Amino acid sequence: MQCLVIEDEAQTAAYVRKGLEEHGHRVTLCADGEAGLRLIRDRAWDIIVLDRMLPDDIDGLSLLKALRDGGGQTPVLVLSALGSLDERVRGLRSGGDDYLTKPFALAELLARIEALTRRYQPGAEVRELKVADLSMDLVKRKVTRAGRPVLLQPREFRLLEYLVRHQGQVVTRSMLLEAVWDIHFSPGTNVVDVQISRLRSKVDGGFTPSLLHTIRGVGFMLRDPA
Amino acid sequence: MQAFWSSVSFRIALVYGALIVVTLAVISGIFYYGTVVGPANAMDQKLVVSEQRLSRHFLGNGLPALRSEVGQLLADGIDQDTEVYLLLDPAGHKLAGNLDRWPAPADLGFDTLTTEQVLRYGKPSLSRLVWHRLPDGAVLAVGNDTHYQQAVEKLVWRSLLIGGGTALLLAIAGALLFRRQIGRSIGRIRRTAMEIQAGDLSRRIPVGSTRDEFALLSHDINAMLDRIEHLMDGVRHVSNTIAHNLRTPLARIRSRLDEMLRQGTGAGTADAVHSAIQEIDSLTMIFEKLLQIAEAESGARRQSFEVTPLAAVVADVTELYDAMADTCDTRLVSEVRGGPHVLGDKDLLCEALANLVENSIKYAGRSSAISISAAEEDGRMVLTVEDRGPGIPADFLGRVTQRFYRGNTEVPGSGLGLSIVTAIAQLHRGSLQLQSLNPGLRARIVLPRPAGEAANPADSIL
Repeated sequence: MQCLVIEDEAQTAAYVRKGLEEHGHRVTLCADGEAGLRLIRDRAWDIIVLDRMLPDDIDGLSLLKALRDGGGQTPVLVLSALGSLDERVRGLRSGGDDYLTKPFALAELLARIEALTRRYQPGAEVRELKVADLSMDLVKRKVTRAGRPVLLQPREFRLLEYLVRHQGQVVTRSMLLEAVWDIHFSPGTNVVDVQISRLRSKVDGGFTPSLLHTIRGVGFMLRDPA
Repeated sequence: MQAFWSSVSFRIALVYGALIVVTLAVISGIFYYGTVVGPANAMDQKLVVSEQRLSRHFLGNGLPALRSEVGQLLADGIDQDTEVYLLLDPAGHKLAGNLDRWPAPADLGFDTLTTEQVLRYGKPSLSRLVWHRLPDGAVLAVGNDTHYQQAVEKLVWRSLLIGGGTALLLAIAGALLFRRQIGRSIGRIRRTAMEIQAGDLSRRIPVGSTRDEFALLSHDINAMLDRIEHLMDGVRHVSNTIAHNLRTPLARIRSRLDEMLRQGTGAGTADAVHSAIQEIDSLTMIFEKLLQIAEAESGARRQSFEVTPLAAVVADVTELYDAMADTCDTRLVSEVRGGPHVLGDKDLLCEALANLVENSIKYAGRSSAISISAAEEDGRMVLTVEDRGPGIPADFLGRVTQRFYRGNTEVPGSGLGLSIVTAIAQLHRGSLQLQSLNPGLRARIVLPRPAGEAANPADSIL
């Protein structure tokens, strides 16, 4: 993937570049809004990682607005030290697709970038999702594994659906809270872990192979290990 | 009536009205005295003098002389239309005079002035008379027809009434106008104050080009608000700068640690690094919560409030925590009565409720039930979380909402949860109420109804 990282802070920029390159992505760095706009015009990008606080006149949000006003549809992940919900909403309303506050874990950044780029691949309307011998009927809202029905509550179904749609990708706790429960604060306790455990006991309990994995320090992933 | 009396403008108008009435009364009194009472007294005086002169004439010259004197006075053409003379002999027969009918002398008081209805030159007349009994028994009456005085008196009364009535109406109208004017000026100030309270610090009191006391007051208040907004901006700038300047080093430390992990280290180091990362994460979280409390306390979030049904808040939070409650062998029971809703921020309300539920799950012990409910009580909207755990000892209830206060240090936590709930409740113009249930705790977030459902307080009667 071609990634454009617009970040004026050298250390963060280097950190992000290293992390992305290690994952097989190609990264171009730039440190101010003007250079960023030029690069956006000159080439096509799969993802743009944009810091809100940029030097000189063009700050992150105005660059974002300029991109969107010009018709650009590249997914943009906004980085910022400003973490209040208000600022988050502003960032998303200005045209951002996701918003991550500093300090962040590289794994969180990677997980969200992958989620964003997956979204942009064209595909037909899906009515069924499959992983290994797990099958989800999205219309009837029913799940079966190895032919046997798995009974899930509606919210558990949504949780599983999100994981299956992001199969093979790391999904962080905050991504799940936002996407599945529409919760935008960080609960003090490990509620998500507990929810995942319960789902795991239903989906993996008594079946092989285990599909739902916990990635230490980062989040979760649903994957057919085969 | 109480409402009227406590209104300053009503009291001022009342005093103003009373002063007008008093002034009017004084002027009217003076005028009336001058035009009616004075001349009447002067007339009385004249009559007495005239009577005395005629009496002396009788004493000096006898009854026939008096008789011809009276006749002369009547014929001389002076005061023809007002004079009244009457001379009666001791038997009561008329000797001279211009009265055709008079009150019986037996009914009269002598040497006093009275007003009687008589017939004068054959016509009815209300006359002012003084009667005198002469030494030989004859009776002399001297008087004055009062129709002029009556006319003047009537005229004076009518003008005073009309003038007074008009003045009173003008006074009332003036008072109402005055009240409305003051009400408008004060209303403007109050409305702006309410908008500022709701979180919009940029509002200012609209001031015209007048330089009256209210305009000067408004200018002063606007200047004060400028200063406050400037200070708030300073604080916000500092907060944002803190955010940027503290988070960035934290981010750097974390990223370095992350790198170490990914580069692969021995198991012992990996553990140390993991726990260092955890510490940074929990530091960041504390830091976020403090900033959030500060932001909630500043009230700026109020501007983006929307009507939020509490049923959704209860449902979302209950759903999120049901798995966790299961693992503690605790049941979450939720109940929503009616359709309570508030003007607010759903995310913040969920967070506040979640904090309370988390606390109950953490401290309430195993095998119990936690009740989560929303209802309308006494015109206010209430979110309640109730458990039957150990609760909080009554004397600590006031302290638990202090920042970093930890009642039970064995259970993990930052000590900021209840501070956040309090800040969020107050941001929504409500409050957090804690009650010991012995055993157990009832935590209630009490919020007001959405403002649109009550009269706008800025427009109430002054």
